[in-house]
Amino acid sequence: MVLIIAVVSICNGKYSISVNDIFNIITNNSEVSSLTKNVFFTLRLPRTFMAIISGVALGMAGCVYQIIFKNPLASPDIIGIAGGANLGAAISIVAFSSSAMAAITTGSFWGGLLAVLGVMAMVKATHSHSTATYVLAGIVINAMSKALIMTLKYFADSENELAAIEYWEMGSFGNITSSKLLSILPFFLVGLIGLILLRRQIELMSMSDNECKALGVRIRPIRISILVLSTLMVSSVVSVTGLVSFAGLIAPHIARLILKRNNATTMMLSGVVGSFVVLSADVLARTIYSAELPISILTTVIGVPLLVYFMVTAKKDRF
Amino acid sequence: MSFFEIKDLHVSYGSNEIVKGVSFAIEQGQFCALLGLNGSGKTTILHAICGFIPMTGSVVVDDQDCTRLNEKKRAQMVSFIAQVCGLQGGRSVLDAVLMGFNPRIGVLSFPGDKEKEISRQALREIGCADWEDRDFGTLSQGQKQLVIIARCIVQNSPVMLMDEPDSALDFVNKHVVMEKISNVIKERNKGGLITLHDPNFAMEYCDKLFLLKDGLLASSIDMHNTDETEIKKKMSIIYGDIDIINHNNHYLMLRK
Repeated sequence: MVLIIAVVSICNGKYSISVNDIFNIITNNSEVSSLTKNVFFTLRLPRTFMAIISGVALGMAGCVYQIIFKNPLASPDIIGIAGGANLGAAISIVAFSSSAMAAITTGSFWGGLLAVLGVMAMVKATHSHSTATYVLAGIVINAMSKALIMTLKYFADSENELAAIEYWEMGSFGNITSSKLLSILPFFLVGLIGLILLRRQIELMSMSDNECKALGVRIRPIRISILVLSTLMVSSVVSVTGLVSFAGLIAPHIARLILKRNNATTMMLSGVVGSFVVLSADVLARTIYSAELPISILTTVIGVPLLVYFMVTAKKDRF
Repeated sequence: MSFFEIKDLHVSYGSNEIVKGVSFAIEQGQFCALLGLNGSGKTTILHAICGFIPMTGSVVVDDQDCTRLNEKKRAQMVSFIAQVCGLQGGRSVLDAVLMGFNPRIGVLSFPGDKEKEISRQALREIGCADWEDRDFGTLSQGQKQLVIIARCIVQNSPVMLMDEPDSALDFVNKHVVMEKISNVIKERNKGGLITLHDPNFAMEYCDKLFLLKDGLLASSIDMHNTDETEIKKKMSIIYGDIDIINHNNHYLMLRK
């Protein structure tokens, strides 16, 4: 399913590429024009790949957070990644320029990472390592980020900077290039591989802290590792795409409703569902209207009916 | 030195001292109960031994001081069954049992075929062999506790701690669970310590009873070498005006 949408994503846009063209490019056939090749390699392929890895990052991280915080409403926003990344991007836009893409990417990446480090510092200061403390610290960081973003918006130039901050918050794959993709790929891969390797520990963390300890889970180092890895994954993609809402919340629910399981396999499927939702949203974002629509509108529009469909059809088997 | 020994255990919540210097010892193959009224410190003692809450004193298992061990190493020495199992559904019974191997395999490792076979053997041992593919969430509370006992079997710690594992069970299931726990402790030569609200179950299944009152060990009863008059005298310390009836060497406590 994701592969089919990926092909549709590569074909569609202002400059159309046929399936034959894709086949010829892959087989290195000389019949394809250099313009088509150029569009394929510099625009469509990075954009499609970015949409896929964004969905994987948000879906998997959402599932991990829902498991380790024992909260079905948890998403990558819960420990302040989104708030921090948003603040980082807003600072870069106001401090440098609304068109300084490298600065915005760097700012949002470090903003997300610093927000989670702030959460961990706050948890350490309270001497309580319960999941509730992490969630409360996340709420504090998110609230502080929002207050600072509002201040920045208030003082921002309404023509350029304010519009750029608002646009970043809605997310877009319109500016993805292969260099941007390659710059964040190592961080994404470290997070992804780390979480896959830790999947058994993540599954164990679905139990209470006491039960985890009784089964020999090294709660503190494991929880910190999981948070750092998932933050790396989410921050890396959000830094170049802007905020992509809803995908991280609904992908795990859809995966659970499909598998009727809540284990490591659900985490993997959440990534696949996330990539399906984000990729489909990106295809629609650039095809349903003459101008490209922000991605967050479409992820919500696609995600809600999908979730409702699975809720209705899986009603009887739900655990 | 005994196989499992608690020495001068103190636990406080803020300035409120809950456990005020408790010491006792348990031998291999011995199934013991901690009895006491609400707030006497039974659960607190188990939580302190497991490392869930800060404590002072020593917890020695097989000549090793557990208070110095991290979660993983401590779980190799001590397993724990909670009042109500917090493990959610969405995983098979076999997967739930396999979690018991966590203290013995690497953080990034996974249980293999050998571990799966040991888990199936543990499920057979407690009479739940047919459930391995069932969703853990679809089991009744009694069935869940049996699966958790199987998880304790594969965890293979020399000491088993249980905090009122029968609290959510009906009369028949209480006996089923207590019998299985007792069998596992005897057959596998473990040291078992359980907290119970019903002294009748403790007198029926346990070898030794530790009686707690206001955070102190008020007395202990060796069920194999104590007559009903002595049992009554000691039980009265915490339960007040009671009577002990001997029915074919099965003791029953009644309130007068």
